[in-house]
Amino acid sequence: MPRTEMKDAAPREARESREGSEGNRRGFGRRKVCRFCTEKNLHVDFKDAATLKSYVTERGKIIPRRINGNCAKHQREVASAIKRARMVALLPYTVLHV
Amino acid sequence: MAHKALSAGNLLREYETLFLVKPDVTDETVEKIKERIKTTVAKDGGKVIKFTHWGKKKTAFPVEKQARALFIHVDYLGGAKVVAEVERNLSIVEDVTKFITTKIADAIDPATREVEEDEKLVGDMDERPRVERESGAETDEHDGNDSEELQA
Repeated sequence: MPRTEMKDAAPREARESREGSEGNRRGFGRRKVCRFCTEKNLHVDFKDAATLKSYVTERGKIIPRRINGNCAKHQREVASAIKRARMVALLPYTVLHV
Repeated sequence: MAHKALSAGNLLREYETLFLVKPDVTDETVEKIKERIKTTVAKDGGKVIKFTHWGKKKTAFPVEKQARALFIHVDYLGGAKVVAEVERNLSIVEDVTKFITTKIADAIDPATREVEEDEKLVGDMDERPRVERESGAETDEHDGNDSEELQA
């Protein structure tokens, strides 16, 4: 698993730097990085509603990984943590009936 | 795999349960529920490590038509039987409205995990009695100034 990620990552970086130098990189801004990978002390926890709140929309939907920049592993953890938090009313399922 | 580890030594799994209690119950009832959990965990060879009372907090949506609930978190060691028994008991208690159990760790030696003291947190800020707020009257004044400035 990590090996394939490495394989993927290397050419992508190369491509980005090349496109960066040409100045016509597709999309805007810098590439997002996974917060849980960069901050080693930060763990996904369903009890930590304050952190999980930044991974749901105002309507309470889970934000996709292409937008929040999480890695696949942590996105999976965040998604299940959000679902657990909903079960104990720490996060809303929806805002409609409130 | 985990079964082997469990049967090999006297290792247990670590679980946590978070449960919600109706907001209007007394401290005595909460203590009774805690006692009930402690006895059920001990009966099946488990060990309660810590209770954390989060206090009265606002829920994300009304639970049993109430906007608030008491959140209580338990950390304990045990096997699958312990979890089933704790959850069965929680579903029997009428004051408990919601609960969820997750596994924290596999194969923990109960001798190495010491029992910690119960903790009680304050809960939501708006749940504090008014008297406490008045002591921090300075903040209120600041708020007043801000609004005045805005008007000017």
